[in-house]
Amino acid sequence: MWRRARSISNVVGLGEILSVVVLALAFVIPVASDSPFTHSVANQTLIAITATFSVYIMLRMDLLTFAVPAFMGLGGYAVALAGLRGGVTDAVALTVLSFAVPALVALPLGALILRLRGVYFVLVTFVLTEILLLVIFETPGLTGGSNGLVGMPPIDLFGLSIADNRQVLAFAAGITVLAAIITAALTRYYRQHFASIEENEVLAQSLGLVVWRYKVIGFVVAAGLSGMAGFLLVNMLLTAHPTSFSPISSVNYIAYAIVGGRSSILGPIIGSTLLVWAANIFSIQGEYSQGLFGLLIMICVTLAKGGIVGTAILLWERYGPAWPWGAARASGLAADGARVRP
Amino acid sequence: MMLLVKDLEVRYGGITALRQVSIAVNKGETVLLVGANGAGKSSLINAVIGLVPVCGGTIEFDGNRLDRLACDRRARAGIGYSPEGRRVFPSMSVADNVLSGAFGLGRERQRKAFAWLCELFPLLAERARQPAGQLSGGEQQIVALARAMSSFPALLLLDEPFLGLAPVWIARISEAIRQMQQRGTTILMTEQMARPALKLATRGYVMRGGEVRRSGTIAEIRELALAEEYL
Ligand SMILES: Nc1ncnc2c1ncn2[C@@H]1O[C@H](COP(=O)(O)OP(=O)(O)OP(=O)(O)O)[C@@H](O)[C@H]1O
Ligand SMILES: [Mg+2]
Repeated sequence: MWRRARSISNVVGLGEILSVVVLALAFVIPVASDSPFTHSVANQTLIAITATFSVYIMLRMDLLTFAVPAFMGLGGYAVALAGLRGGVTDAVALTVLSFAVPALVALPLGALILRLRGVYFVLVTFVLTEILLLVIFETPGLTGGSNGLVGMPPIDLFGLSIADNRQVLAFAAGITVLAAIITAALTRYYRQHFASIEENEVLAQSLGLVVWRYKVIGFVVAAGLSGMAGFLLVNMLLTAHPTSFSPISSVNYIAYAIVGGRSSILGPIIGSTLLVWAANIFSIQGEYSQGLFGLLIMICVTLAKGGIVGTAILLWERYGPAWPWGAARASGLAADGARVRP
Repeated sequence: MMLLVKDLEVRYGGITALRQVSIAVNKGETVLLVGANGAGKSSLINAVIGLVPVCGGTIEFDGNRLDRLACDRRARAGIGYSPEGRRVFPSMSVADNVLSGAFGLGRERQRKAFAWLCELFPLLAERARQPAGQLSGGEQQIVALARAMSSFPALLLLDEPFLGLAPVWIARISEAIRQMQQRGTTILMTEQMARPALKLATRGYVMRGGEVRRSGTIAEIRELALAEEYL
């Protein structure tokens, strides 16, 4: 039994299995609770997790991206326009659309900017969101400008209308599980490629790895996942508004990934959950939460580089009982190449 | 002609590391580059794989110009590279490290390559799942070497494969290199302490101050090297 579980975890990774299981538990929330506050925060958490998966994918290749809100905006506005102007309400079609539009934008863009090294890439991703907002403000005819797009029709899934809070939340849980599966599939399938890029890009290239190609693949999928998060956000608010996709919100997603732990797919889930709930419970608004998250990022990068998951693994390996699956990395709980050491 | 380097010039900023270097390596040959520290051996190897840009001259591999290609394309054209100083991916497992030299191969051929390398170096099988950063320096050298061999390259570039190794390991690596020779692999290797390498090579070049000073058969190189105190 152990051996069988172990051989499965070799292929899929324990972290990936756990993350899908944990996210599937979110389906329980709309049934178990009828507090609107809980529903709202759970919804925000799921959106944050989906968006943070894209930060996680880029961190797997040691790349930092500030472009998450830009691609969320592209996905969100694509869905809003399809609903309002095109009358599309089919959830499956809209999901595909929210993934495809940002991914298609990311393809040529990534091919261009992923040749940039280090800080230049980071800078360009930051500017991307600014450019998107500028485009939105300058095209009020199409995007509603600073008023945004309001009055979207509710979506429906296989003929079932997703109208009330509970259904919206359950749908968000479904999309987040899908996002987790996509992230897991990508990062496990290209495990060695991403790890060697993360650890030593130049060496990887001298061994014949087309570094740039894998970076583009990661960037495109990450953009698609951000787009799906944008869809969830628009679907929750039934509005696409520029303030939902502010450039500064990119710091939040980076904070979720780093605080949760960049070394495992569980990191974005734990980081988003903790920080979104903390921000809501202590009702920390806007700039204050960004200030707090900034502080947390500083604490993590100086004291606990592995974030919550990385530090937990480290402490377990040092003091805990022997791990039934062998070393954390061998069992896929932590990704290869991940810097979990403090 | 497997590798033909003509009038190669390499500069780092203002410093000229290689000046008018020309070497030729025939198919199936093992050629040794000897020279003291700073002679330019690594610069030559790195220019061939594409890690340093060239300022002048040409590099031909199997009849095709290499000097304009990105280094991943050179590797995939059939060049295996083992860098100086045990460069492994420290947090990747030993097995993944070895196979990272064979990204392009299918799973089946990767499995075969790994099985063959494990026979040569039992260490790889014993430590397959351990992070490579946890191995000793000499063990990491084995991993880097196995990685370069894992794609069965037509040309193998070995930058100081014996550096800092115990005699047992030197014997084992020599044996592995011999097996590569038997497979018909062309090898270009560098060495300061040339003794073990002299037993493997057929021809050699003596480098000094960024230039090729002498070339000859291995017997001639041995005599030259002895006379000029390279050994
Ligand atoms: N990255 C670099 N930047 C600047 N100068 C360099 C660089 N790499 C090498 N050099 C210079 O180029 C010259 C040749 O160096 P190279 O590493 O090719 O020598 P080598 O023969 O491999 O020496 P060793 O036996 O010590 O490895 C040296 O004078 C060195 O200072
Ligand atoms: Mg050298």
